[in-house]
Amino acid sequence: MDSTISVSKGCFVFKGAAEGKKGGAIKRKLKDDNATNLQTQISKQPFYSTYTDTWRSLEIHIDQLQSQSYTKTLEDVVQYVENECIVGNTDTYDMEEIVPAAALLTGVNQPDHLEQFATLTQRILEKMSASVCMLQSRDCSTLKSAVETMVYNFIECAQERPPQSDLEDEDTEKRERKRLRRTQCNMRQLVHWYRRKYIKPYHNKDNEDDGVDDEEEHSPHAKQRTKRSHALVVILPDFECFNTTILQDLILILSAYYAHLPFVLIFGVATSVSAVHNALPYHVTSKVKLCVFKTQTAPVCLNEILERVILSPKYAFHLSGKAFKFLTHIFLYYDFSIHGFIQGYKYCLMEHFFQGNAYALCSNYTASLNQIKNLSHEDVECIRRLLSFRPYVESINDCKRIIAILTDDNYLKKKLPQLLRDCHIHFMLLRIFLEFLTVLTGDLPKCPLGKQRRELYSFCLSKELRDQPEFKECWQMLSFMSKDEFVSKVSKAISVTEDFLHSEIVDLELAEDCMTTVNEKLQALKDLLTKVVMSGMDEKSPTNSTAAPSTPATPEANKQKFTSRQDLKEHLLQMSKQHNKPSSEYAQSVAQTLLYIQNEIIIKYMAPLTRSPPLHELFVYSDVSTVRRHIIGAPRAALHMALNNPHYYLQCKCCQLSESNQLLATLPDLSVAYKLHLECGRMINLFDWLQAFRSVVDDIDNEQEQVDPQIQARFTRAVAELQFLGYIKMSKRKTDHATRLTW
Amino acid sequence: MDVCKTITEKFPCRKKIVKELINLISYDEEMFPNAIHIHGHTGTGKTTIIKHLLKESVRRNNENVFNVAFVNCVESYSSRILFENIAETLCSENAEEVKVENLKDFVERLRQLKTEDTRYIIALDNAERLRDMEANVLPSILRLQELSGLNLCVILITQLPLEKFYCKTSIDEPIIVYFPQYTKSETLKILSADFKNAQNLLISQLQRNKTENLEQKIDVINTVSRDFFNNYLNLFLGVFYKACRDLSELKITARKCFTYYMTPILEGNVDMSDVSRLWRCVAGQLRTALMQVYIRNGQPKSGAELNDKDSVKIAQSLELPYYGKYLLIAAFIASYNSSKEDKRLFVKNHGKRRKRMQAVNAKAKVAEKMSTYIGPKSFSVDRLLAIFYAILEEKVGLTCNLLSQISTLVNLKLLSFVSGENSMDGTSRLQCTVGLEFIVCISQVVGFNVRQYLCDFN
Ligand SMILES: Nc1ncnc2c1ncn2[C@@H]1O[C@H](COP(=O)(O)OP(=O)(O)OP(=O)(O)O)[C@@H](O)[C@H]1O
Ligand SMILES: [Mg+2]
Repeated sequence: MDSTISVSKGCFVFKGAAEGKKGGAIKRKLKDDNATNLQTQISKQPFYSTYTDTWRSLEIHIDQLQSQSYTKTLEDVVQYVENECIVGNTDTYDMEEIVPAAALLTGVNQPDHLEQFATLTQRILEKMSASVCMLQSRDCSTLKSAVETMVYNFIECAQERPPQSDLEDEDTEKRERKRLRRTQCNMRQLVHWYRRKYIKPYHNKDNEDDGVDDEEEHSPHAKQRTKRSHALVVILPDFECFNTTILQDLILILSAYYAHLPFVLIFGVATSVSAVHNALPYHVTSKVKLCVFKTQTAPVCLNEILERVILSPKYAFHLSGKAFKFLTHIFLYYDFSIHGFIQGYKYCLMEHFFQGNAYALCSNYTASLNQIKNLSHEDVECIRRLLSFRPYVESINDCKRIIAILTDDNYLKKKLPQLLRDCHIHFMLLRIFLEFLTVLTGDLPKCPLGKQRRELYSFCLSKELRDQPEFKECWQMLSFMSKDEFVSKVSKAISVTEDFLHSEIVDLELAEDCMTTVNEKLQALKDLLTKVVMSGMDEKSPTNSTAAPSTPATPEANKQKFTSRQDLKEHLLQMSKQHNKPSSEYAQSVAQTLLYIQNEIIIKYMAPLTRSPPLHELFVYSDVSTVRRHIIGAPRAALHMALNNPHYYLQCKCCQLSESNQLLATLPDLSVAYKLHLECGRMINLFDWLQAFRSVVDDIDNEQEQVDPQIQARFTRAVAELQFLGYIKMSKRKTDHATRLTW
Repeated sequence: MDVCKTITEKFPCRKKIVKELINLISYDEEMFPNAIHIHGHTGTGKTTIIKHLLKESVRRNNENVFNVAFVNCVESYSSRILFENIAETLCSENAEEVKVENLKDFVERLRQLKTEDTRYIIALDNAERLRDMEANVLPSILRLQELSGLNLCVILITQLPLEKFYCKTSIDEPIIVYFPQYTKSETLKILSADFKNAQNLLISQLQRNKTENLEQKIDVINTVSRDFFNNYLNLFLGVFYKACRDLSELKITARKCFTYYMTPILEGNVDMSDVSRLWRCVAGQLRTALMQVYIRNGQPKSGAELNDKDSVKIAQSLELPYYGKYLLIAAFIASYNSSKEDKRLFVKNHGKRRKRMQAVNAKAKVAEKMSTYIGPKSFSVDRLLAIFYAILEEKVGLTCNLLSQISTLVNLKLLSFVSGENSMDGTSRLQCTVGLEFIVCISQVVGFNVRQYLCDFN
């Protein structure tokens, strides 16, 4: 591992280490010894195995979630496709020119959608007999290439998955393979191929017996149905990117052949249905039958992933508020790419674990206990260097123990379980009460603290919640609420939290400890709430048999009576309705409740990272600047840096600059030319530039007119390179002048 | 005249034309005409009727005597494919190996076919595409009989009249057959012939939805008489014929609406004879269907929600990343302001005097010069970014992610390239394709006032 830890800011590629995906066969062959060496070195490290485990379980979880959320729409689409392929079942029966089409409204990020369509393809193939061809706009620059690609894909992908092939079948396959060249693909080929493969009666005898004819018994229309039994699905994942004239012709072709080949079109539409109508004139739309399906929008998907996976209490790894916000910011502000978000998250994960073997402790509790004994002296030192370790040491008031903890590795290792446990519990409680607080503040007018869990999460990790004006605003709004609203809100928050406990927490390690803490708090809160309800009730006659005057016993009585939360809630609501008189007593008890929430829940458990328990750095990744540098490409800034201060990248001794606009002869020529051009206006006189260049590069004092040809050549080359990089362009208006292209 | 009868039974109201055609390509001893040009508006049954007619004729004759190729010219992105498609169907032996390089080959091939009494017909649908091929294709196709020496007739099927086919090298006049549009009563007759299909559709729909009392309902459907259906069609055409003359559109909609019409009957709410009540029940649905005519929503559940023609709805339903929205707004501003105004609009300390001058100038402008009406002008990427940074309060880096948003917007057809598409740099020119309403809506979402930055509104 040491070989990769370097002072330079280079980025290291760990081939195959990061992703378990298999590279192409060729790639594998080319893998040189170095890389393999490196890989084995790294993959043996404990941090690496923890990393892979964590990532794998995250990935599986995310995949599951995504496929679940696509399922509904995909099922609908598949159902539609299936339906369209049964003759006589639809409103376009006997109109042989009308191709069924489904428009799938996918939302704007197109690269992400390819995956979605891959899943769709799979589903269709599972559900019915069909060939699916994904036709991307980049393959369709001309009608010819569009048709060729489509036909080729159909024939080719059928070959990849030979359907229970007999020997004779393979023979035909071979013949096909030999003959098939891309330029020969046209619709005629497709018809022949389709007839040979899927329509038996049309074909000569010798190939007749491949495949299965099990359709006969289904209906009297058997003949008709076999004819249409194998659908040809054409998916256009990026509808908007297609050249409209080509698309129109393509659809007309499909429609013309629809009598022979049962096509189904699926459009991936990123904007709205009107895109389809804008792209296709009437004579084309009249040849398709459009059915529109909607998928979840990307922000909704992201929220789901965040709340169900990234913020799940199951995982020990956390992002700091800033890092978390940074990633969601990229998503929401720039690209809406779920894939990009996940990759960014994965990058943080890698960075986190790569900090050292001490970070192998960042896993679930039992696993981390097992890791403790593997820690080397260096790892333990690494733990000691953590920022939060110091306050911990300072909090110990026994000198001997302090020394032991600082010097004796074994002593610290003995202490670790308790510390780790505290951390785990801290984060779990944080997550649980996040649920509570979200319900409490999420739907206040204007949402000062944000509507979503993610917003609240990054908020309370990065700042002391209590001191924020947004928080105060929320609290004020809560205290001004009517009794009904307040009571129902708090009881809803309680019930949501309890639900969360039951659904997410129960099965985890350390759940017991969390549950007791949380239940205790919630119970106290319920009691307070009862008080709120009761407030202003005293002057009424105690006819309400259940709600006796507010004695300490009341809450107890209530608690026993109401077995389910629903009951309690209803009852509270009812009671508060009966006594809607605002009274100072009411205000007081509300204030009391809020104070309790603030002091006992928010300050205690929703602490910002600065107040988190010792060693929390092991679980939280917070180095935003590294991530930013690595996952946000800023080519312009990087180029500027490289040209303005080559030392930053080259790390050479000769180019160290004392200030950024300093010019040294030792700088690369390109860099000199660049820095000189920065000082010019829009137009640059080449001769002046050359002179300036010469005065920097050529240290001999030369007043003679003749420029050294070598220097002139160097200059010319530097200018050419600048032009190549797009900084300047030769002016057409003024001879011997260049135009600056950047500002 | 058996063929005529079968065809006219299937396709009513075309008796005259079918007869004429059969006379032209009938199977007596005369030579075929050189070429027939069939034209007519869309949906007049050109493709369908010719196809069926030819198929029927082949069926009744021996294939060796009567040989037909029906080819759609849309597919023929090169003349080679056209020739091969024709050759393949005409020369039936080892069909897959056909290789025809060019016109000469093609004619050569046809010559080889020469037999005494076989007749050939080549029908070319969407024949207007022939004009886009090499200049010699269309004239030669029209003289194919002469060139090949066969008893051969070419049928051109197109929506365009023959005048549109004239070209430099003159063409031989083919025989012209015109498919007129159907009148209202003809339409009614044709739709009424569709009775059985509408019935079947209804039944299969019920079966698919697994409605209760299936048997009973199917019985009800089977008792529906043709008169009842005609009655329905009368109502239907009363609503639709003004808006839509396209037969296939009407056919589909009529089938679809018939299910609406039948629903109250099947549910037992209305009696079949109570036409006025039925009308009241279905009127609303017909009207919504009328809104959707030509849109072809094959919605499985009759969802009326997706009629999002107006741009406000689109803008609301369109989810764009935050900066994407701002880029779009910036693009709009760049498209509809002249770059001279930029300084006044975006630089805080522009001179007062200039402004007053501007104001005078602006007054002098006539309302019809409003640039939002004139349409978008192009702007460079640099200007787009400059405006983007000017209208965005926060500071953001010029990163890949930001730049890639521009191409995303282009992909979504919200922006379009005017020049420099292949190598995008600061000087490539773009254009904004969305309208004011759309932008106003988008900018409301992000809490931005576009009008403030549009010269037209200042
Ligand atoms: N006389 C008729 N009787 C029954 N159905 C008809 C009749 N004429 C046309 N149709 C129906 O109208 C629909 C459209 O016909 P077709 O596609 O042949 O029109 P077209 O003239 O080829 O249109 P385009 O010019 O757009 O290709 C077909 O479904 C056909 O069945
Ligand atoms: Mg047609």
